[in-house]
Amino acid sequence: MTGQSAASRLQPSRLRLGRRVPNLYAWATILPVLILVAAFTLYPFGFAASVSLRKYILTQPNSHPFVGLRNFSQVIGDELFATSATNTLIFTLASVPLVTLLGLGVALLLNHPLRGFGVLRALVLLPWAIPLVSAGIMWKLILHGQFGALSGLLFQFGMIKDYIPWLSDPSLAMLSVVFAHLWREFPLPAILFLAGLQNIPPELYDAAKVDGAGVWARFWSVTLPLLRAPLLIIVIYETMIGIAVFDMIYVLTGGGPGSATTLISWFAYTATFKFLNLGQGAALSFIIAIALAVLIILYLRVLPTEEEATS
Amino acid sequence: MSLYMIARRLGLTVSLLTTLVALLLTACGAAEPAAAPAKEEAAPAEQKAASTEPVDLNFVVWSYSIETIQDNISQFESQVPGVKVHLSDFSWNDYHDTLATRFTGNTPTEIAYSSDHWLQEWIAAGWIVPLDEHFPEVKDMVKDFAPYAVEGMTADGHIYGLPYYADMVVFMYNAALAEKAGITKAPETWEELTEHAQKIKEAGISEFPVYIPLKKDDPWTVEIFYSMVYSRGGKMFDENNNPVFNQPGSEAEKTLQWLHDAIFTQKIMDQSALEVSEPDVVKTMGAGQQVYTVLAKYNLAELNLGQHEQAGNFKLALMPGESHSTVGFVRFYALTKDAVAQGPEALQAAWKFLQYFGGPTDNEYKVVKRWALEKGLGFAQLPLYDDAEVAAAINKWGDVALEREQAKLARVKEGLTPWWGAWDIYARGQIHDAVLGTVTPQEALKNMADKWEELKEQ
Repeated sequence: MTGQSAASRLQPSRLRLGRRVPNLYAWATILPVLILVAAFTLYPFGFAASVSLRKYILTQPNSHPFVGLRNFSQVIGDELFATSATNTLIFTLASVPLVTLLGLGVALLLNHPLRGFGVLRALVLLPWAIPLVSAGIMWKLILHGQFGALSGLLFQFGMIKDYIPWLSDPSLAMLSVVFAHLWREFPLPAILFLAGLQNIPPELYDAAKVDGAGVWARFWSVTLPLLRAPLLIIVIYETMIGIAVFDMIYVLTGGGPGSATTLISWFAYTATFKFLNLGQGAALSFIIAIALAVLIILYLRVLPTEEEATS
Repeated sequence: MSLYMIARRLGLTVSLLTTLVALLLTACGAAEPAAAPAKEEAAPAEQKAASTEPVDLNFVVWSYSIETIQDNISQFESQVPGVKVHLSDFSWNDYHDTLATRFTGNTPTEIAYSSDHWLQEWIAAGWIVPLDEHFPEVKDMVKDFAPYAVEGMTADGHIYGLPYYADMVVFMYNAALAEKAGITKAPETWEELTEHAQKIKEAGISEFPVYIPLKKDDPWTVEIFYSMVYSRGGKMFDENNNPVFNQPGSEAEKTLQWLHDAIFTQKIMDQSALEVSEPDVVKTMGAGQQVYTVLAKYNLAELNLGQHEQAGNFKLALMPGESHSTVGFVRFYALTKDAVAQGPEALQAAWKFLQYFGGPTDNEYKVVKRWALEKGLGFAQLPLYDDAEVAAAINKWGDVALEREQAKLARVKEGLTPWWGAWDIYARGQIHDAVLGTVTPQEALKNMADKWEELKEQ
């Protein structure tokens, strides 16, 4: 047996060992984090799953029998489910395009290297930096039907005869909540779009100009396709926020008047913390999570890839 | 073995050890809350008595006059050495939800404000314990309390607390503004209130003379609604806690119809009533924007003595309606399961606290009297009505004689059961829908009755 052949016999086993040890090393390195993730994500998820399949009412602390999917059927059969699902759909369909378009518009505006725009970029972030509850309280004072600043302003300019009940009229209440949400949410898309815009090589615009492309053609053929990544992130994120939005409703309307602004997240909160029915609350949370997962998969499939978009 | 391999193995060992330590720490951390009370329970009483550590009492309240509460606590601590009270406060509108989370999460809470709203629910959940089981002397103490207040703190024959305050939902009005329209007396019925309000509106004194707060996420809303039903001589539930509000032509139906008409037909009440609660109404009434309201009585003290343009012009009147009845309610200091779980020393400290805050100290209801003098809060402790200082203080902003007359007509909320709290949440939404006209009053009341049966079956 020559030294060369011995070496060639040893090589595969060394290779196998080499592969195994780094794998083990990698697993061992990430194990602490995995445990933490398991403790703070998987365990609560499993617990919630278990609760959703049980009759779990806090006023009956000693009895949590397994009820299968009854909590799911009960909440879906509840009249408030249809109302809150419809309201959530309306809210999401209104807020996602508006937030995305406003964010894009602001980003396009701020992308010009003009004096003072640096300060403006920082200022644009302001609504996003204000804590949600503070923002909600501020909007509540602006929209108050008795002494709200918005009605006050419109009244002073002679545009209205009586103060408008923005938050106590069912149709206006939803509009008001969408508007407040839009104000609070647009800065993040604006900044993400701005970052995307600044990554587009200027040569592409130069080439497009040479080809005779006008402003709109450059926007549709260069800007928009190259903003696909931030656009995807923003649309997914804002849809998630739209479906799961809670804080603004909590502070502004409490789901009212009547059930005019009761979104599905508010319904889940009410079931859990007001009705103390944890089983139904968990079931509703799972329904929200499933709806979100389906929408995200749908977005990923429907939105074109960068290559598709640029081709 | 190469240096590279050694380093990898070392890394692997360190990582596994770290994981093990993390696991152990997690396990210890998880065991701590459960282990701590067991350890305390096992500790001999003498050992505890010898300890110089103060007894900690966690006291949870809704946010109202926190400086006064803090000052009362300081006085209590100076009088009862060895007890340290930790105060936490949460907004009234969120109080129920916050406390539910707090109790479920086992956050230490020995004494908490509670309300007749939630008494049965909290008992069923096992969050509060009967006071008289641990301190039978409380049964003698409550003999001096107003019956409706005692009833509001009692379930299954047990007393669950001592009153923080007890009051009524009352009708109050700006007499000066009403007089400008030639109205010299308070309305006797709800229909008469409509007439008076229209007169005031026509005189241009107020665009919307009536302002009754009906905010959906405010627990007061249902008490105000009950009061309006009671004042017409109506009932919400029978003696067996079966709904009667849904009977055709019921006083509840008339009340919902009246509220709807007041906003949309007669336009004597602003639609924003559906988004406001007590503090908003006090502000706008104080500024003279409205003339008539229905609120808890203590607000009259704020309206007449506070920094308001119209201060001094507000009067108490019997609730309009055939019976002039109203809701009498009690908010009380409840003893929680934690106070018992912490052992006898904590339980004794909690009892001293309850006595100081809700009972007599040196034959005087110190804290209760302070609330009555400084904030105009009503009280369940009847001997205080004979206190000249209290009577004089009330007469500065109210009318003791009329208050007593209204108190005689006050009734507790009917239907208080473990599921009443959940039903109340649903009922408020239906009240809104009926007032807005998205459903008819009869439909709303039917929905409320159906929900009652559904919750009862659960």
